[in-house]
Amino acid sequence: MSRRLFYMLLAIFVVVVVAANTFFIVDQRVQAVVVNLGEPVRVINPPGAYDPGLKVKIPFVESVVSLDKRNQAIEASQEEVISADQQRLVVDAFVRYRISNPLAFYRTLGNETIARDRLEPLINSSLRQVLGAATASDIIAHQRAELMNKTLEDVRARAARSRLGIEVVDLRIKRADLPAANAQAVYQRMRSNLQQRAAQIRAQGEASRREIIADADRQVTVTLAGANQQALTTRGAGDAESARLFAASFGKDPSFAAFYRSMEAYEGSLADDQTTLVLSPDSDFFKYFKLGPKAK
Amino acid sequence: MPWNDNANPGPWGSPPGGQDDRPEGEPPPRREEPRRRLPPPPPNGPDLGDLWRRLRSEWTRLTRGRRGDGIRPSAIAAAAGVVFMIWALTGFYIVQPYQEAIVTRFGAFARREVPGLRYHLPVPIERAELVNVTQQQKTIVGGSPGAEAPDESLMLTGDENIVDLSFAVQWHISDAAAYLFQVRDPEDAVKAVAESAMREVVGHSALTSILTNGRGEVQAQTLDLMQRILDRYHAGVTIDAVQIQNANPPAEVVPAYQDIARAGQDAQSAINQANTYRNRVVNEAVGDSAKIVQASEGYRAQVVRDAEGQAAGFNQVYAQYRRAPAVTRERMYIEAMQDVLSHSRKVIIDAKGATAPIILPPQAFQSIAAEPAAPAQPPAASSASPSPGPSQ
Repeated sequence: MSRRLFYMLLAIFVVVVVAANTFFIVDQRVQAVVVNLGEPVRVINPPGAYDPGLKVKIPFVESVVSLDKRNQAIEASQEEVISADQQRLVVDAFVRYRISNPLAFYRTLGNETIARDRLEPLINSSLRQVLGAATASDIIAHQRAELMNKTLEDVRARAARSRLGIEVVDLRIKRADLPAANAQAVYQRMRSNLQQRAAQIRAQGEASRREIIADADRQVTVTLAGANQQALTTRGAGDAESARLFAASFGKDPSFAAFYRSMEAYEGSLADDQTTLVLSPDSDFFKYFKLGPKAK
Repeated sequence: MPWNDNANPGPWGSPPGGQDDRPEGEPPPRREEPRRRLPPPPPNGPDLGDLWRRLRSEWTRLTRGRRGDGIRPSAIAAAAGVVFMIWALTGFYIVQPYQEAIVTRFGAFARREVPGLRYHLPVPIERAELVNVTQQQKTIVGGSPGAEAPDESLMLTGDENIVDLSFAVQWHISDAAAYLFQVRDPEDAVKAVAESAMREVVGHSALTSILTNGRGEVQAQTLDLMQRILDRYHAGVTIDAVQIQNANPPAEVVPAYQDIARAGQDAQSAINQANTYRNRVVNEAVGDSAKIVQASEGYRAQVVRDAEGQAAGFNQVYAQYRRAPAVTRERMYIEAMQDVLSHSRKVIIDAKGATAPIILPPQAFQSIAAEPAAPAQPPAASSASPSPGPSQ
């Protein structure tokens, strides 16, 4: 095996190793802290400076800690909060932050896992404090945005105080809900509201029904009464007319009228099989019967 | 190199047979001699072993250095050149029509590339990342039918009710560089912001409006809010639409809602019932009243006609009577009597001078038609016969 070749390859190998430990790439998504034997010495591509690219460090002595430069999230786990009006709410929030001071971040936190472990309780404690001073309906509805802002300010202040080296970009409440047990109470209330509405609708329907029926009955009575009135008037008119006609004709000679009508009456009433007449021969009908042909 | 240095065969021993087999004692022949001539093929034609030998000899010929050991520098250079070419060729990539490529040089943003076949200086110098910019992305919150997620979908409303709401957000990447470099987990960010924004908007809306005609408003407000938040994060994302897919009252309460619908129907049917009754009864009354009026009209007509008839009859008779009154009276009387007496039973009694009551036999009161033809019946007429008993 060629010595020369061996040494050449060995040389190449050494060069490559050294180069790999000297050069490093800082992506623009990343900010790098160069650590010299455990002590952070400088920062590459910090927020505010745009400085990504191929960088150089002292090989083997210096090492690079890469931190994300981007906006990242921490989701705080569900936290039960008691509002000012003693209502329990389950609140679920998330925070978006950037590492704004990589040196400080490296010194106090070090890496993202530790950051999450420290920030989560910080966020939850802020939430409890800020939301505990508001009523439940404010939290859910009326003051949601303002309360989120207040909590954001509080978290920012705490992060600054602890010199965590982060910039909290946003804090948002994802969920502000009732605990499961209270949910049942809400369902019950919703149900009873709805039942009330249903009963009211039915009662209104029934009332309308009765009204319509009563009105119909009234109309019937009025119609019939009108008809009856008209009928009586007509009958009366008929009777009057009849009397007038009688008076006009029979009235010309009342005694003859009486005679005529009586004859008619006798014929009409007595001329049937059921009648037995007991007569005296003195009646005018028997005049010639009794007196013979010569009577006058 | 150890594998072709026969003087120092190494742990595997000398290579077996073949071309290098020599009777012991003979020095290996100098390789330069048959430089341009290959050993003649065996008499039976070339075989695989022979092919291999020829390949090996070509290989050694090309790569061997001048002194027979080591490798020619030009071979090394050629090999290095090939590796370099391959490395350089890794820089080709294709950008699909719905994509955009962001090229970074040593991690720093260098340029954007449009769709097509593109080239970047190979890794680690330049790197291309492909981003879907025109494809629409869809994020669903609250699950879909068949895959419900009640944690995500149950929300508190402004009037302290609970609604079960699931929705979809359609968005696309509007700034590929921002999408890659500003936010660490943009898709998760979109979903978290969507949920937060929708719950905020639902939190100040009333349940009935969300369920019925307020959906559009809720969707618009959520879209607005989401876009503002994501712009604040410089996420490079544009929200195209927020669509509520399902908004229902929670399952426990749905039967009560259905009952309200039923109640409405019950009320309506009660009213319909009443209207039916009313129509029937009122029309009947109209009919009845018409009947009553008609009857009275009929009565009137009848009575008047009757009177007219009687009056006309009397007038005619009266006209005759006026001409001869006494005669007419007499005649009328006799005619009437005749008619009456001819149709009735008669008993003629001359009661003058009778002192005791006269008793008539019961046959006198029977009707004429009922009596059988019995002329032998003693006539109740003619002379009176005094006898005690009930009188007529």
